[in-house]
Amino acid sequence: MKNNVYTLFYAGVLGTVCSLLLTAVASFTAPYQQANAKAEKNRNILGVLQVQYAPGASSQELVQIFEDNVLSEQKGVLTMYRYVPPKDSDKTETVAVGFEGPGLWGPVKGFLALDKDMRTIRGVTFYEQEETPGLGGEIVTAGFRDQFVGKSIVDEAGNPGIIISSGGDPAANKVDAISGATMTCDKVQAMLNETIKSIVEEKQ
Amino acid sequence: MTCEPTGLCQGKGLLTLKEGAWANNPLAIQVLGICSALAVTNRLENSLVMGAALIFVCVGSNLLVSLLRKVTPYRFRMIAEVSIIATFVILFDQFLRAFYWDMSKQLGPYVGLIITNCIVMGRAEAFALQNPPVLSIVDGIANGLGYAVVLAIIGFFRELLGAGEILGREIPGFSSWYTPNQLMILAPGAFFALGIVIGIFNWIKGPEPQENK
Repeated sequence: MKNNVYTLFYAGVLGTVCSLLLTAVASFTAPYQQANAKAEKNRNILGVLQVQYAPGASSQELVQIFEDNVLSEQKGVLTMYRYVPPKDSDKTETVAVGFEGPGLWGPVKGFLALDKDMRTIRGVTFYEQEETPGLGGEIVTAGFRDQFVGKSIVDEAGNPGIIISSGGDPAANKVDAISGATMTCDKVQAMLNETIKSIVEEKQ
Repeated sequence: MTCEPTGLCQGKGLLTLKEGAWANNPLAIQVLGICSALAVTNRLENSLVMGAALIFVCVGSNLLVSLLRKVTPYRFRMIAEVSIIATFVILFDQFLRAFYWDMSKQLGPYVGLIITNCIVMGRAEAFALQNPPVLSIVDGIANGLGYAVVLAIIGFFRELLGAGEILGREIPGFSSWYTPNQLMILAPGAFFALGIVIGIFNWIKGPEPQENK
């Protein structure tokens, strides 16, 4: 009995010391980690908007570049990021909109960049995904993402939506799916279309 | 060099060092912890950071386990070891995330997975529980170093052959004509490299005495 009490006491003390130590470290590093996460998001938005900047930029520099070039505004449910070059500040180059939704294994998050006509896709990027490496995980590769460039977010009849599919005829709003990643592609198509629907509705 | 099992080496730091880093190298001789060794060695830089992480965790956990060895209830010892190891691993992971974000992204879950690395737990259980703190630190350094050096060797050759670079820089007189072999960056390359390194280590060391009986 005495032995049990000692073991419990030992476990309690060890657990408390370990957790206090980790809490201290976590709260000390939290500001740095948050800055990194913010810079990571900014880097993705800048990338999809095709803003040119020096490759080795630090977290602070990225935040500055972002503030100089990008205007963010809330439109309904959408947050839009407009690339407005500082030189001619009334000209919008590209617009990025975030999208997210459930993937096959976990949440998928990314940005969709459109031309200033709000119809033509300038780029797609994924900054968070846990899809199967080699199959669904291939959505992050340039080979898949580059297909979107120049595609339209509406079909010939003007209905909003993009199609990710392996078969069928080529169309202005269709890209090829990844073999072996049908589930991921369907889910990505669904989350993109939800955002596209909001964009088209917002425009009208 | 031909040091008998750890019990006879007590008080002899140099022997402990040789034992851990060479004669009983955790990766090349005991073939422990190869999961992480295969996963993170596609670049020399990754291998070095991972090696540093393991040295840090091994030294820290060995020291604490050794300090607490007389007050830890016997049947609770493994839980205590894992708690201590996990604390050090998360410390290192948080540090990477805060100050080496790119490296943290590249290593992904493998830093956190050091918690389950058999080398760290094995040293705490087999060495630190029976030995005084200073010797346990030496043992931690030795085994961490043994792991780090093998990782660096594999990482060096995988990056050299797979990307034609070292530490992300081009090598004068080599990168210009060498066509990188993608296979070395992918998983099969890791198996080839690790197998060859284990083979060379065992060849130099010679057969185990008990295997000759």
